[in-house]
Amino acid sequence: MGRGTRSFLRLAVIVVSVAAAAIFEPKEPPGLDFTLQHSPTPHKYLIETMPGGVALLDYDNDGLLDILLVNGGRLTSPMQLPESFGRGNEQYWNRLYRQNPDGSFTDVTHEAGLSRVPDGSYGMGVAVGDYDNDGYSDVYVTGYGRNVLYRNNRDGTFRDVTAKAGVAASGWSASAGFFDYDNDGQLDLFVTRYVEWDTQRNKICGGEWRTYCPPGVFPATTSILYRNRGDGTFEDVSRSSGIASKAGRALGVAFADYDEDGFTDVFVANDGMRQYLFHNNGNGTFTEVGLEAGAALTADGRPLSGMGAVFQDYDNDGRPDILVTVLPREGYALFHNDGGGQFSYRSLETGLAALSSGSSGWGVGLEDFDNDGSKDLFVAQGHVLDNVESIDPSLRYRELPLVALNRDGRFERAESGTGVPFAGRGAAFGDVNNDGWMDVVVSGLGDRPRVFLNRRGDAHWLTIALRGARSNRDGFGARVRVNGQTRYATAGGSYLSSSDKRLHFGLGAATTARIEVLWPSGIRQTLEGVRADQFLEIREAERR
Amino acid sequence: MIQLLLLAWLAPQTLAGDAAEHVRRGLEARKQARYDAAIEEFREAIELAPNLAEVFVYLGETYMQKRDYAAAIEPLRKAVKLSPNSVAAHGLLGYALLAHGFAADAIPHLERAGDKGALGVAQLEIGRLQDAVGNLNAALADRPNDPDLLYYLARASGLLSKWAADALLAAYPDSARAHEVLGENYFVLRQMANAEKEFIQALRLRADLPGVHLALGQVYAGAFQWAKAEEEFRAEARLRPGNAEAAYRLGVALLQQGKIRDARAELERANQLRPGMPETLYSLGKAALLDGDQVVAERAWRKVIEVAGEGSLTAQAHFQLANLYRKQGDNAKAEREMAEYNKVQNAVSKSADPRAQFATPK
Repeated sequence: MGRGTRSFLRLAVIVVSVAAAAIFEPKEPPGLDFTLQHSPTPHKYLIETMPGGVALLDYDNDGLLDILLVNGGRLTSPMQLPESFGRGNEQYWNRLYRQNPDGSFTDVTHEAGLSRVPDGSYGMGVAVGDYDNDGYSDVYVTGYGRNVLYRNNRDGTFRDVTAKAGVAASGWSASAGFFDYDNDGQLDLFVTRYVEWDTQRNKICGGEWRTYCPPGVFPATTSILYRNRGDGTFEDVSRSSGIASKAGRALGVAFADYDEDGFTDVFVANDGMRQYLFHNNGNGTFTEVGLEAGAALTADGRPLSGMGAVFQDYDNDGRPDILVTVLPREGYALFHNDGGGQFSYRSLETGLAALSSGSSGWGVGLEDFDNDGSKDLFVAQGHVLDNVESIDPSLRYRELPLVALNRDGRFERAESGTGVPFAGRGAAFGDVNNDGWMDVVVSGLGDRPRVFLNRRGDAHWLTIALRGARSNRDGFGARVRVNGQTRYATAGGSYLSSSDKRLHFGLGAATTARIEVLWPSGIRQTLEGVRADQFLEIREAERR
Repeated sequence: MIQLLLLAWLAPQTLAGDAAEHVRRGLEARKQARYDAAIEEFREAIELAPNLAEVFVYLGETYMQKRDYAAAIEPLRKAVKLSPNSVAAHGLLGYALLAHGFAADAIPHLERAGDKGALGVAQLEIGRLQDAVGNLNAALADRPNDPDLLYYLARASGLLSKWAADALLAAYPDSARAHEVLGENYFVLRQMANAEKEFIQALRLRADLPGVHLALGQVYAGAFQWAKAEEEFRAEARLRPGNAEAAYRLGVALLQQGKIRDARAELERANQLRPGMPETLYSLGKAALLDGDQVVAERAWRKVIEVAGEGSLTAQAHFQLANLYRKQGDNAKAEREMAEYNKVQNAVSKSADPRAQFATPK
C-alpha cells in the first residue's frame, strides 16, 4: 500500500470520528452534590417513579444560571398517616445551587430560605417566572400534597408566600408553568395534576412482578389555572376558564400561540389517554380542541402516554409544533402545526418514531444544539418501571438520553457524550456557561443530576433576553423571529422543569441577524443588522 | 325418544312387567336429578332382567351423570359384553374410561363408537399425537369453534410440534433447521438475544433457508432496530419475491424509518401478492398519505373497513379518514368518521396503554 493511500485512510478515519463526535460533554461540576431521593418501596407507591424537576434560573441576577433541583421525599413501606415525607431532613430538601464565576456551584438552599419545605409534600416539579414583575425570578414548586410559591426577596433569599397568594393547590401536581393567558401583563400560573391518588389508596399491579400501576387504574383529575390579580394574590379560575371542564391525567404542559390570534394556548400532555390542546378564546376562557385539531391522538387514533411536552417550531415554518414524550412502542409524538388550527402527526416521516419506539421519554427540549439554525432534540429517558427488564428484556429502566440533530426537518441520532444510562426524568435547557451554546441539566431517579455541557463548534449564535414593559416582565408569550427561525418565549415545557428564559438562536454562518419581536401586548419591534455571538437584551417599546 | 322406544321394546320382552316399571321409574328419577333413586330402580330392573344390555347402559350413564366414573365402568362393561355392537355402550364406556384416566383402554371403545373428538383426546393422552391432531381436526369440522376441541387441538398440535422439533434437534443438532427451531423457541420465550444468535447461525449454515430472514427481522423489529429489521426483511423478499408477508414487513420497517416512497412500493407489492389483507391495506394507506396521495390512502382505508370487521384496525381506519376529510375541509364527513371511530374504539375497549399488561391491581 502506497504512502498516498495510507494518508487517505488516515484522513477518512479522522473524518468519521469527527462526524461521530458527541454534542455534549457530561460534567459533574464541583459543588453540585444533589441526589434525587425518590425512595422506592415494595409498596410501589406511584409517586416514587415520577420526580423530579430541574430549573435553570438566574435567581440573583448575576448573569450566571443557577440550578434548582426538586427532591422527592421519604416513603416508608407501608406509609403511615400523617404523611410527612421527611422533608425536614436535609437529605430530602429541594436544593438551590448558585453558580460561581468559575463554573462551580455552591449550595445556597438554606440561606436562600428554600429549606423550609412543608411536611406532607412529596416534591415533583418547578416553574419559574417573575410573577410580581420586580425583575427577579420567583419559584413555584409542585408536589404531591401541596405546592409552594417562593417569592424572590431580591436579596438572594425567597419567602414562602403560598398562603397569601392562594396557590397551594391540593392532590398531586406535576408540571407547572407561568404564562400570561389574558395579556394583562401579569404572569398567571398553570398547574397540571396527574391522578386522584393518595398513599392509602395506592394499588400495586403486575403479575409475577410487582409494578407501578398505569394511570388508568386511578381516577382522572383536573388541572388548575390561577389568574394573577397583580396584587400578589391569585384567583383560581379553573372552572370559569374551562380548564377544569376536562379531567385528565396531566404530567406535562407547554405554552405557545399556535393559531396566531395573539393569545397563548396551552398544550397538556396526558398519560395514557388523549392529549389536550386548550385553545385560548381571548376572553378568559379556553376550549379543548385537541381532537379536532389533530393533536390528541396518534395518526392511528391511539392514545399516548404523554409525559413531557415542548411547543416550539421545529421546521422553521413560523408556527409552533408540539412534541410529546411517551412510553415504548408508542414513539414520541410530533404534531406538526399545519396552520389554520390543524396539526398533523409526523413522527414517521421525521424519523422520530424510529428513534424513540423503544424508549421512555420525559424531559424534552427543542433547542439548536449545533447552532446551525434548526432546532434539535434532547430527551431524558428511562422506563417508568424499575423492574421492566425482567418483564420485557427489550426495554430498559436506565437509558441514555436521546440527542437528535435536525437535518431539514428530519431527526438523526447523535452522540450524547455519555455511555452511562440513568433513569432520566426532568430536563432543563439553557446556556449554563454563557458560551453561546445550549446545555442541558437532567435529573435522574436516585441519582446525581447530569450536566451536559455543549462541546461547541464554529457556528454563530444569538441569545436574547426579553424585558417586558406593558407585557409581563419576562416577556413570556412573545414570538421572536430571528433570520427565519421562530421561538415562543417561555420557561415552561419539558417535564416538571423550567428552562433558561433567554431565547437562544443558532445562526449558522450568518454574522448578523434580523430580529422581529411580537410582544403579548401586541407591540412589534424589529431590529436589523444585529451582530451575532452576543447576549442581547430587548426591552419592550413603549408603544405599537 | 330413545327412552320411549326402549320402553316400548322392553315391555313385551320382560317376563314380568316389573322390570319395565323399574326402568320407567328410574328414568323419571334421573330426569329429576335424583340419581341415587334412579340407580336403585335400575339395579332392581337388572335383578329382574339381568341380560338386558340397555338397562346396564342406563345405570352406567346415571353414574356418569353423578360424575362417578369408576362406578360407571362396571355396568358399561357388562352392557358391551351383552351387546358387543352397541354404539352407545361403547361410547359411554370409552368416555368413562377416559374420564377415569384409562385413555389407552378407552380408545378401542371410542373407535367403535366413532367419536373422533373423544378419540382424539384419548390419543393425545397416550401420546399418539399425529392421530390425535387428525381426529380432533375431523371433530372440529362437525363442531366448529367448540372450545374444548379447540383447546385439545391446540395442545396436541403444540406437543406434536415440540415432538418434531425435539426429533430434529436429536437427529441433526447442528443443522440449519435445528438452529431455526431453537431460534423460534427463544422468540416465543421472548429471549431475543438467543433467538437472534440461533437465526444467524441458521443462516450461516444455509443462507437460502426460507423464513429465517423474516424471523430474524421480527426479532430486530421487536427490539425497535428498524434498520436491521429492514435489512433482514429485504433479504427475505429477495429470496422469496412472491412472499406477501416479507413484502409487508419490509414495507412497515421502511415506514417506521420514514422511508415513505420505498415503504409504499413494498406495501403495494404486498397487496398485489395477497390482496385484501387489512394490515397491508392499512399501512399502505399511511404510506400513500405521507407520499401525498390522498386518493389511494382513502381507498385503502375504505377497504380496511370493508374487510377487517369491527376490530381496532377498523377503528384506526375511521380515525385516519376523519383526519383526511378534516384536512380536505369536509367537516361533515370527518365528523361521521370520527363518530364511527368512537363507536368501534369503544367496542374494542382494549387499552392501548403499553403498561396494560401490568394493569391488573393485585
